[in-house]
Amino acid sequence: MRTDRRQSRLGVIGVIGALLFSVLGLRMWFLQVVDAPSLEQKVQANKTRTVRLLPERGRIFDREGRILADNERVLSITIDWNVMRDSQDRAELFARLAPVLDMSSTEMEDRYAGPIGADGRRAGSRYSPLLPMPVKEGVGEDVALYLIERNEDFPGVDVANGWNRQYPYAPLAAHVVGYLGAITKEEATQYRDLGYDLNERVGQFGVEKIYEPYLRGTPGYVKYEVDSRGVILSELERVEPIPGNDLQLALDLDIQQYAEQALETQLRLRRFVETCQAKDENKLPVKPQFPECQNLKAPAGSVVVMNHSNGEIIALASYPTFDNRWFNAGISGDKFAQIFPKTEDPDKSILVNRAIQGQYNLGSSFKPFVAYAALDAGQLPGGVAYKYFDQGSYTLTSIDEDTCQVVKCVFRNALCGGGNSPCFYGVVTVEDALAVSSDTFFYKIGEQIFSERGGQPILQEEVRKFGFGSKTGIDLPYESAGRVPDKDSKRQLVEDGVLMEGESPNYLVGDNVQLSVGQGLLAATPIQLAQAYGAMANGGAVNRPLVALALLAPGTPDSSVSGVADLSQSEVVLKLNTTNTIRTIEFPAEYRDAIVRGLQRVITGPGVDSDRYHATTGERLFASYPYEALPIAGKTGTAQGAASLPWNDSSAFAAFSLDPFQPYTVSAYLEKSGYGSKAAAPVTKCVFMALADAVKTPPVVPSDPLDLNSTMVAPDRSLPSNRCLGGAAYGGRD
Amino acid sequence: MGLPILNRRPDSGLGNIRRSGGDPSRNIDWTMLATVGLLAIIGAFAVYSATFWKVTGDPYWFTLRQVLFLIVAVVVVVAVMAFDYTFLNERAFFLYGCALVALVLVLSVGALRGGARLSFDLGPILFQPAEFAKPAVVIVLAAYFSELREETVSYSKFIGGLVLVGVPTVLIIAQPDLGSAFVIIIGALAILLMAGAKLRYLALITVLTVMTVAAAVVAGIVDRYQLRRIEAFLNQNSNDEDLKNLVLQVRFAKRAVATGGWWGKGYLDSPLTNGKFIPVQQSDFIFSAIAEQFGLIGGAVVLGLFGLLLFRIWRVANLSKDLFGTYLCTGIFGIILWHVFQNIGMTMGIMPVTGVPLPFVSYGGSSLVAFAIMVGLVESVHMRRLR
Repeated sequence: MRTDRRQSRLGVIGVIGALLFSVLGLRMWFLQVVDAPSLEQKVQANKTRTVRLLPERGRIFDREGRILADNERVLSITIDWNVMRDSQDRAELFARLAPVLDMSSTEMEDRYAGPIGADGRRAGSRYSPLLPMPVKEGVGEDVALYLIERNEDFPGVDVANGWNRQYPYAPLAAHVVGYLGAITKEEATQYRDLGYDLNERVGQFGVEKIYEPYLRGTPGYVKYEVDSRGVILSELERVEPIPGNDLQLALDLDIQQYAEQALETQLRLRRFVETCQAKDENKLPVKPQFPECQNLKAPAGSVVVMNHSNGEIIALASYPTFDNRWFNAGISGDKFAQIFPKTEDPDKSILVNRAIQGQYNLGSSFKPFVAYAALDAGQLPGGVAYKYFDQGSYTLTSIDEDTCQVVKCVFRNALCGGGNSPCFYGVVTVEDALAVSSDTFFYKIGEQIFSERGGQPILQEEVRKFGFGSKTGIDLPYESAGRVPDKDSKRQLVEDGVLMEGESPNYLVGDNVQLSVGQGLLAATPIQLAQAYGAMANGGAVNRPLVALALLAPGTPDSSVSGVADLSQSEVVLKLNTTNTIRTIEFPAEYRDAIVRGLQRVITGPGVDSDRYHATTGERLFASYPYEALPIAGKTGTAQGAASLPWNDSSAFAAFSLDPFQPYTVSAYLEKSGYGSKAAAPVTKCVFMALADAVKTPPVVPSDPLDLNSTMVAPDRSLPSNRCLGGAAYGGRD
Repeated sequence: MGLPILNRRPDSGLGNIRRSGGDPSRNIDWTMLATVGLLAIIGAFAVYSATFWKVTGDPYWFTLRQVLFLIVAVVVVVAVMAFDYTFLNERAFFLYGCALVALVLVLSVGALRGGARLSFDLGPILFQPAEFAKPAVVIVLAAYFSELREETVSYSKFIGGLVLVGVPTVLIIAQPDLGSAFVIIIGALAILLMAGAKLRYLALITVLTVMTVAAAVVAGIVDRYQLRRIEAFLNQNSNDEDLKNLVLQVRFAKRAVATGGWWGKGYLDSPLTNGKFIPVQQSDFIFSAIAEQFGLIGGAVVLGLFGLLLFRIWRVANLSKDLFGTYLCTGIFGIILWHVFQNIGMTMGIMPVTGVPLPFVSYGGSSLVAFAIMVGLVESVHMRRLR
């Protein structure tokens, strides 16, 4: 060193060095002591990757073990999001994957960023950012193996095990079994809270929806240690998924298939029937603004078969039906819209279970409950012995003559014997009135139970006991409650503009008269009809109808027969068909006997003698029914439709077995299919014959694979022999 | 001025009577050599821990090469120590010229890696001329300013120095290797400060550097990637996809340092270092490997060794018998100081990421040999301070 000044400068440099070192030391100290606790966790989070293992969904069996819903193991290819961040890397990877997966890079890009919207921008991926992105589902084992072996060439590409839902007997019981679908936007929060991934498929209809939590099972996961590129280094933790519970339904597929075939066959037959308007004195149509004659449309219908001793649903058919395999077929949106067209016409709706969602007038099939109401409310002097003189028409007595100039005061029976005069049944008891379906008998009840009780809703309260106007609680989604009209509901209907203009918002005596014969504002579902008839059959117990019998432990083995599980090796986890009586109606034997006898005579006769012999509404049809094998009692009903035109008549029938060892109740409802005795009653007859083993039901076999080129929502099906539908029908409206 | 201890003349005591106390071979600064040796050994182990998984079937691929480089470096140190550094004073411009030629050549025929031409591809090794430009520039500046007898630097003298620094710096920026360019600037600043340049001259150099970098950016020589490093440095918590890799690299490095604790997670038992998380950890981010595996203590030991090394270099600058030696040591002091601060600083997120290795520790032959030359020069100054 030469001078002190240079030395002091060297000192300055030394100080600068010391300062810089202090900075480094401080920073290291700071990182270690201050930041470390929070950073430590991130290290743990960053070096692991969790892959969800989806459980096998529970299978669904009928009561005999036939597999209505099964699972097929499928392999899908996924890509880790991290390796796709960089657009160049992604394009390169997609280009390499394209020939292997036999799909275009564009499709993959659509999955990555969402399809290009109307504004030219991509909508964002619909796949969970927390799980690897599925790029293709249902690949073959060879493709999966090819990719696994070349892991170095396809970084971040992985093979995931998944499940594809199968419906081996589709379209059998499609409305009951339901289908799986994507989680909708509205459901997203709910399912996320339940721990679902938003790209899982969930039950969207039928028991698949109702028993979703049980069927789904519990997902497992496997935790891998990964490096920053997402390459798996080791497996840290593995929790196997727990498969979902299997579900045994009460359905008997033999009866289910037969009921579906009978319903479809009958609807198709009814379309050949031409109906004509009534004529006036000059032989001209009563309603000249409408065509004189028209074929029945017979577009839709439903059948319910229920065990009325415990509420088990043996069969539940709804037409038009669908093949629920379409929902897992991986078809395009356009194709789907072609198969399931959007329609405003309720006659054509497919994805609606008419047995529990259809809200209908019941016509005369409602009369047994009105009869009970009258007896129970003491409306009939002398009770079951009460005699009424049926002159063919009934004039309201509670309305003065002046008013009767304006409103309808005279109500007639149905026309008799092809003539223009209403039927005349003479002196009838409750039993007779039910047997021949005397309207005037019930008009009188309908008027007096209202006018003599100060307008109180006595009739409504009585019929509500049977379950009308409230949901039955069946374990199927989207059930309708129906409506027993009263003051409030009528005002509501007028306010909502549902009723015709000029309709009074007050509940009038005329409304009650209509209600007494099951017309007017009454709305009931076929399942309610079956439930109510079942209560009539079993002496007053209103049972909750149940489609499911039991939840079984997962993994019920298959039996030696294809498509059938071995239920003898199953283990019941939760019995579902217990404590199912909603309410027990007080039902004196005297009343019940009178009503049941009336309904029994509907099937067997005899009718009544007045001016001539009037047969009961079902007497001739059921002449070919093996009554001794399975005695039944039932009631026809014809619900009048728009403008009371004959081709708008809907056909209802409900009947129950009188044999305590075969406690079945059947209800059938065929929309716009004509009289109750002509459309619904034959279907019911067929079903009872099947239940009585009086006809040979066709064997239930797994269906052919779904033809993806087809545009039919479900194949046409019909009874092997429609003989059971035949029989001389009653000629009049019932 | 100065602390007496720092001014203390070395013992010329009795000792071996056949050889004088001023004999160069008797005045080797063993402390410095030991410090460097320790750092190199730590470095070799750290390199192994960060690379053993990289080459399938050969965990020692990187380590073996690093050891070979170290052996070469030892030879280089011994060779440079044997030379009298004053010999360089006369041939400084020749060396400088060679360095310039290499820098020009690398721009045209260098191997293109990641958009930059930093090195010649010599078969098994990559030769980076910028590494050797560092000692060359220091030598030429030391020679240039040691001619000066005054205590301050005149403006004309300063301009001459500026040209000497500027030409190689611009060439290196053009590669582009901003990190090495800054290293040379810092070394030059240290020598200028020592030579008595006015503060405004130093400020001028800083301004010129910034302008040159700006010009290079505008000219498109410094590509977006280099700029994104700066961007990533300013937004260390950014979620920007573009910056993701850069941000993550530093974030993981910070985590590695932060989570080491007092004693570290143990050698070869550290998830980040041994888990492929930090790109090029064996060279630029080697400090994170040390800090994670050996903790605060390990990091402090490395920092302490560098502190000791720098102190020894600073001491030699003080002891040098001539100005040339002082300037030489000062420049090398600045270069090594900046390497350490820049490298460890970026590992801990207080400096932007540049490709500046940690002396003697990072994997890489060119830098190791270049630092060997520098240490050899300092030793040479120390050994011959009494002659």
